[in-house]
Amino acid sequence: MSANLELQRLNERKGLRGFANLYQKESQAWWGTRRWWINALLWTGLLCGLAAIMLFAPNDEVNNADEAEIMQAGGLAAYVLSLGLSVFFEFGGPMLAIGTIVLTQDLIIGEKQSGLAEWLLSKPVTRRAYVLSKVVANAPPLLLLLVGLPSALVYGMLSLRIHALYPLAPFLTAVGIIAMHTLFYLTMTLMLGIIFSNRGPILGIALGSILGGGILGGFIKPLFYVTPWMLPKVAWLTATGQAISNGLGPASLVATTLWIAAFVFVALIKFEKTEF
Amino acid sequence: MNQSEKFVIETNGLGKSFADAQALQNVNLQVPRHSIFGFLGPNGAGKTTLMKILLGLARPTVGTGSIFGYDIVTESVAIRERVGYLPQQPHFIDHMTARENLFFTARFFFSGPQSKIRARCDEMLELVGLTEKADRPIKGFSGGEKQRLGIAQAQVNYPDLLILDEPASALDPLGRQAVLDVMARLRKHTTIFFSTHILDDVQRVSDSVAILNRGKLVTSGPIEQILNSKEGAVYNVALKGNSRGLGERLAELPWVVRTTMAPHNGTSIWQVSVSDEAAAEKDLLRYLLADPAVTVAEFNRKKYELEEVFMEIVKGDENVR
Repeated sequence: MSANLELQRLNERKGLRGFANLYQKESQAWWGTRRWWINALLWTGLLCGLAAIMLFAPNDEVNNADEAEIMQAGGLAAYVLSLGLSVFFEFGGPMLAIGTIVLTQDLIIGEKQSGLAEWLLSKPVTRRAYVLSKVVANAPPLLLLLVGLPSALVYGMLSLRIHALYPLAPFLTAVGIIAMHTLFYLTMTLMLGIIFSNRGPILGIALGSILGGGILGGFIKPLFYVTPWMLPKVAWLTATGQAISNGLGPASLVATTLWIAAFVFVALIKFEKTEF
Repeated sequence: MNQSEKFVIETNGLGKSFADAQALQNVNLQVPRHSIFGFLGPNGAGKTTLMKILLGLARPTVGTGSIFGYDIVTESVAIRERVGYLPQQPHFIDHMTARENLFFTARFFFSGPQSKIRARCDEMLELVGLTEKADRPIKGFSGGEKQRLGIAQAQVNYPDLLILDEPASALDPLGRQAVLDVMARLRKHTTIFFSTHILDDVQRVSDSVAILNRGKLVTSGPIEQILNSKEGAVYNVALKGNSRGLGERLAELPWVVRTTMAPHNGTSIWQVSVSDEAAAEKDLLRYLLADPAVTVAEFNRKKYELEEVFMEIVKGDENVR
């Protein structure tokens, strides 16, 4: 059919044909719906609420702490800060990972099952653009709403608790570590969504990594160096300025970065071969 | 005109096998430019699989294929640039309205101006009668409305080829008629390759058809050729009077292959199968009129319906197996 000459044909890079439009669609699913503020409220309320209880409310943890623990932390105030940060990073990290899995498990598998992926790929769209748009468009809202916003509020609470600005560099480094932890589970979930045809294995493997990783690493210690399983603890230790043993932090961070790259790579390769 | 200019779709020995089944076997298909090509076959024949292979959604196990001269495996994006596709069950982005979905589709093809893209979307909504529902979210759309929106999105890019998988399956008779009208209108602009179970629709709008059965292309060609491809011709004759012995007398004519007779309301209805159409045309009626015992009440050549041909071809193919 002869095209209307007034319309300009899209001129996009060949290998990423369709990326911009798909990116916009994915972003709109966050920012154009109530999804963004529901998640912002949920995660901020949950994580900051727990941290606030530790930081401001008199609680059993503090009342029952023995002198040695308080002394080791550098006094009662430091002990309370450490508890607040522990709840935020050590408990919050895995919680955010679970949230990431729940929020993203359907991104690819849902579209595969509903036929939407088939329809999208019947347009001039490369498979690479489809996969990368999922990663690139979902990472910012996840990091901003699940990690960034609660972190900013917790930083404010910490500063309020000590009546001065909490040291920014260690706190930001810890937030960065949790961001990497979250990205690991985002890319892992997307890759699993491409590999499998139903949600069971995705949830099983991803949640198994969060819940079972610590147990497995307890038996085989070197696993902590090549997985993100210790990152929440590393984030807490970093934020509180405590020492991290034997290069565990850098090793697990490098390993997590490599895992993220590997997950994206496998997702791209596998999706090229996926048939609809 | 070279091959790729004459035929929009061409496949050579195309085959597709899954772990436990051979979905397509040695499919050699040629779809002429500007034709409305009906693609028929019983459920599970492999029609959707072939359409998906043509669009790069699945890969052939053996064989090759091209659309507009582009290879269907290695140049799929270039093909999809010029194709509109309606899947069997169209799915859209639920949180978007019909208009937003169309705009989203158009942006895979056009970069601007935005006002012109919007105008094109409005034009498509008008075409399928969804203007009044354009700003409602897809979530509340019925199957028929989704089907109509599917037809609109398939055309938004001014495609040179429309691939429609069961385009009228979810529509009521009026909707079906509207779709057929749209297809007929598009004939001069584009090539339409569509699958359907509704053989009446195919006969009404198609100029070429292919029949696929159990993954094999059983027949393919212009619809008239297929309707007339049965061996010889058959004449229907209604006779009044005493036709006893007429069967034997007709059988003596060298070009009569077979006769059958059924009485009906005082007349006898004869079907005379002939091997030489020209001879039968010249002499059969004359022979009957010359018989003083009977009066010819009706005489015509039997016209085959696509459904008859389809059933015969599919059943015949199954008997061969």
